[in-house]
Amino acid sequence: MSHAHATTVHGAPPLKMGLPIPNSKLGMWLFLGTEIMFFTAFIGTYIVLRLGSPDWPHDPNVTHIRIWAGGLNTFVLLASSYLVVVAHESMVARNIPRAKLYLLGTFTLACLFLGIKSYEYYGKWDHDILPGHIAEDDNQAMTKTLGDFEKTLNRQYARYVPDSEAARLADKRAAIDAKMKDASPEVQKQVEALKALDKEYLALRTQHQELKLQLVPLSEKLEELKTNPEFAGLLGGLEAHHPIKYGNIFASTYFLMTGFHAIHVIVGMIMFAIPLWVISLDHRWTDYVENCGLYWHFVDLVWIFLFPLVYII
Amino acid sequence: MTDGHATDIHHDSHAPHHVWYFGVFGALCVLTALSVMFDVLDIRGKHTIGGINLLLAVLVLSVATAKALFVMTYFMHLKFEGRWKFLLLSPTVILALGLPLALLPDVGVHYYTTDVPQNSAHVTEHSHTPELETTSESPH
Repeated sequence: MSHAHATTVHGAPPLKMGLPIPNSKLGMWLFLGTEIMFFTAFIGTYIVLRLGSPDWPHDPNVTHIRIWAGGLNTFVLLASSYLVVVAHESMVARNIPRAKLYLLGTFTLACLFLGIKSYEYYGKWDHDILPGHIAEDDNQAMTKTLGDFEKTLNRQYARYVPDSEAARLADKRAAIDAKMKDASPEVQKQVEALKALDKEYLALRTQHQELKLQLVPLSEKLEELKTNPEFAGLLGGLEAHHPIKYGNIFASTYFLMTGFHAIHVIVGMIMFAIPLWVISLDHRWTDYVENCGLYWHFVDLVWIFLFPLVYII
Repeated sequence: MTDGHATDIHHDSHAPHHVWYFGVFGALCVLTALSVMFDVLDIRGKHTIGGINLLLAVLVLSVATAKALFVMTYFMHLKFEGRWKFLLLSPTVILALGLPLALLPDVGVHYYTTDVPQNSAHVTEHSHTPELETTSESPH
């Protein structure tokens, strides 16, 4: 091959084999080809499931999806894409300090993206919008509400009977009287209020087991208990759950798509951290920066479609 | 591969493209704002498919496609690449569309009722009730 080059007529283009791009860039494009199929499988499945579910949850008060967070994250990713493309331009122009500065900007924006995403995930976690946790009919909503009621009581009983002594609520009930023998009158009064609340819970649970409880009366009863001064502070933030039809498949697809996207963002951050870490960065890293940029633009492309599909439609 | 060959490839790959990247970024921001505006102004038509408002879906997905084309054309430099881009990307795009199209008839546009299995009588009858099972009382 070197002989062929040596004998090339002056001015004529040298003989090339394969595509006129660096092997690393070809490799990145082939990888991105697989990535297209990877994400299209998730996004396509989401669209198909969505089409097949007419009552798919889309009220922001139910799904806790905030368009401002999605819009802001879109802007952050677009800005990071811009910075990485100008970082590559700087590498081509052999202006390494400027390229490093742009790469640092990209890395920082990627951190910001994950920060906003974490805030969104926290909202889902806080409202228990998680796969397999969502009640999809009235019966499931009542079961879940009473489950929370039970946990709240268990937590309140634990103030007097620690979990280390009795983990289960039934065991705490059995042990609490013995604990109260030497307690002050004030504490005994608090425990009496807790027992009265427990009695209310047991009555609701019995009604539920006998299939005599309805969701609306349960919600009203909870509100009544919360406004009762005797139980003030005992119920904390206990709220009645309401059914969200298709809520679990919504949560599964939401976390699948955005979760894998976030993993790709983290991988991109690692890719950008490497040239930032290298002290002797020079023009030989130009291909590397270009390939990182291609990967990062793809991550941006995925989000460009996730934003309208998840946040708007 | 000789050094000369490598240099030629690098020269082609790194040739300046004279793109006003900030202008492209600005256009992408404007298009994003447009998508948000469609949602805030609640632009919805009469027609729906599977609960999805058709007008809103067409509008925001058209904007998303325009944004994607901007990113691919200028940021990913596909405008300046050879025809290999079609050869390389066409099979993956065709295969990528295969899965949703295959699932569409059964899951997306089925003719039967849409009662989800979780809501069936069987599951409801056997659903978990607090304290019916001993494990339900374990603290979390």
